[in-house]
Amino acid sequence: MRLLSLEAMQSAAEPPDRLPIINQPLINRRDLLRAALFASAASALGPAFSLAQAVESGLTPAAKREDGSKFLTDPNWKAAFLNDHQNETLIALSDVIIPATDTPGAKEALANRFIDLILSVQPAEFQQQFVEALAFIDTASQEQYSKDFRALALDEQVWLLTPWAYPRKPSRWGGEHEDNSDPGQKHFGRVKALIAGAYYSSEIGQDELGWGKNSNDDLYTDCASPTATPKPVHTPAHTTAHKPTRK
Amino acid sequence: MRQDALTQTYDAIVVGSGATGGWAAKRLSEAGLKVAIVEAGRAVTPKEFTEHMPAYMLKYRGHTPEIMRTRPIQRACYACMEYNYEWFVNDLENPYSTPADRPFTWQRLRILGGRSLVWGRQSYRLSDVDFKAASRDGYDVDWPFGYADLAPYYDIVERYVGISGKAEHDEMLPDGQFLPPMKMTCGEVRLRDSVKKTFGRTLTIGRTAILTQDHNGRAACHACGPCERGCMTFSYFSSPFTTVKDALATGNCTLITDAIVSHIDMDARANKAQGVTFINRTTKESKQVRGKAVILCAQAMESTRILLNSSTVENSKGLANSSGMLGHYLMDHCVGGGASGAFEDLKTLPNVNPPHRPNGIYVVRFRNTPKSGKHPHFIRGYGMQGGSAPDFNMGASGIGAEYKKAVKQGTYGVSLGAFGESLANFDNFCEIDPNLKDAWGIPALRISMAHGKNEHALMRDAGGAAAEMLEAAGAKDIQLTTGVEMPGMAIHEVGTARMGNDPKKSVLNPFCQSHDIANLVVADGSGFVSSGCQNPTLTMMAICVRACDHLIDRFKRNEV
Repeated sequence: MRLLSLEAMQSAAEPPDRLPIINQPLINRRDLLRAALFASAASALGPAFSLAQAVESGLTPAAKREDGSKFLTDPNWKAAFLNDHQNETLIALSDVIIPATDTPGAKEALANRFIDLILSVQPAEFQQQFVEALAFIDTASQEQYSKDFRALALDEQVWLLTPWAYPRKPSRWGGEHEDNSDPGQKHFGRVKALIAGAYYSSEIGQDELGWGKNSNDDLYTDCASPTATPKPVHTPAHTTAHKPTRK
Repeated sequence: MRQDALTQTYDAIVVGSGATGGWAAKRLSEAGLKVAIVEAGRAVTPKEFTEHMPAYMLKYRGHTPEIMRTRPIQRACYACMEYNYEWFVNDLENPYSTPADRPFTWQRLRILGGRSLVWGRQSYRLSDVDFKAASRDGYDVDWPFGYADLAPYYDIVERYVGISGKAEHDEMLPDGQFLPPMKMTCGEVRLRDSVKKTFGRTLTIGRTAILTQDHNGRAACHACGPCERGCMTFSYFSSPFTTVKDALATGNCTLITDAIVSHIDMDARANKAQGVTFINRTTKESKQVRGKAVILCAQAMESTRILLNSSTVENSKGLANSSGMLGHYLMDHCVGGGASGAFEDLKTLPNVNPPHRPNGIYVVRFRNTPKSGKHPHFIRGYGMQGGSAPDFNMGASGIGAEYKKAVKQGTYGVSLGAFGESLANFDNFCEIDPNLKDAWGIPALRISMAHGKNEHALMRDAGGAAAEMLEAAGAKDIQLTTGVEMPGMAIHEVGTARMGNDPKKSVLNPFCQSHDIANLVVADGSGFVSSGCQNPTLTMMAICVRACDHLIDRFKRNEV
């Protein structure tokens, strides 16, 4: 029912058990103020719950407002699943697939650390697929350059990955006997989907998607002329979305 | 808990506090009756709502291994997330069984408010095409009442709950008491106009239990998006902060939480229910609470489970089951047919910021209608839900800066998915599994249900029809699905204690009262005779209020 970017990612590659939530909806300042007013009124519910037994257990870490992302920047971080070689390969892949441009990339977002965590709790079959994907990319790199992927220059990395990064169809010259499939596509697709999921679900990734910038006021307009680019009737200054600061 | 909470005899004991239990408690206590709500789960407070919490603050950003470990069934539910999974039942503590070839996914909550905390909020009336479907196509039986009987109760419920929507004057989907409709996107307007022009079908903005203006002391929706994680302004309807709150405010209603009802206690001589026995969720102590009437609102199969577990010498097949129909005619809408595509010429960019309209669009049933005539391959029909909006394109090709750009360029997607009628079938049923108990020692259910030929034909037709509509509207890249999901996936379970006028063929009378036991009422979705194709909660609430008003009249006449 909801149109989530999850669907696009799931079609891009076989997903892990469940992908991170992208498109995190946020609230703007105007609405936050208004919401706070009503919430204080609601806390006067008081006696309504006097007979209910207060059960402190049974809350998710999220409901207890725990910041679960702290491990990412822990100075003593250690991989839970990947070995050093795999971790460094993943960092190199993050950096070439989603590099820093005028915005930070997947390496800065520590996509490798999040992926390592996710892998550590996935079924063995999923872990194995990912390890095989990294190994496949290294093998191709060795064949071409006699070096591991992490040791390649950037242009070499790009050269190696690019043919795997686009959909394929049978070659028009190849005739019936040509097999245009390339197992690298499947392996690369798995790695790319996880890096993209880890990146866009991170705080840096949310910023990349414009969080806290323009509000979405021009989407639900009942527009009379659907082919024209819709313009909001007016955009008061206070509708600019507000990104809450972290505590 | 007050000392006398369990020693007094209440006028009415309401089992369950969800969409219907909340209404029963409100209606009965506002009429002056002394009511006890017995809820299996814990209380819930707005403090644990997480709708504004960014996903990156969650350790696993949505998919904690705790869900995989403790909620392997519940995780199939779109609303069960790292944010709120504790609201859902722990599958390890709450088992049920199915035959190996008839899988069923049973998605449920045990907490004050039940599934009303996370429901999809879509709210549609049934019409006489549904209530009198058997008269038109000869399959099974009509409901024991018609639209005119229920319409006043739809009005009551809608006026209180606050349903935003648009009147369409379509005989398949009666209009209601609407708050102003939410607005459509340009893609949705295009699809609506095309569907009307090309096919003569009605596509309308979703009718949803979300406020578009301040209403009954609750604030208009602030469009943050994920209602299923709670709402600090109570802008979507959930029972703890509306009906249950009202009931408690009367001073006539006592709330007993963490109380898992195992069975109904009977006065065999008078053939009356005299209360319920419950097991404390945390201490596992067994206790009783007494009442002059018992109203089950525990969820269709949970209510039936309580009745089946209440067998006595006189009622050896389960309570209220002289007909032998208890547990049978389990229904859950078939889902799986639909299509998606993209409007490539619409250039609005995706946006991560609000507003995020927590609602979609709805295509009113157009098969086997009085206007369309009889379809050659199936009876009944389906409605479609979906939407059209730009979304980030994580699946874009390429790598590097170009990929980052393509993600933000996005695609303007459009999709429709069907909810089809699930035919009432005696062979779809639940019963007590003699070898299975829950963590509190209460015998658990064995559920046996499969969608049949008609449901498969409905979804096959829906996939094609959805693709046709998208294509006519100019969508590209159209892909369709025609499969039928496992029963339970619609989370629209109804039936198992059907209403009817004939005590030999039904469990409940037209006012949800047991044919066998005069002071026993089952006022949740159990009584549904057919499923229609509309999301059932609004109808469940209307039926519940009607049943309660009937019970109040009987109290006034001293008949209870």
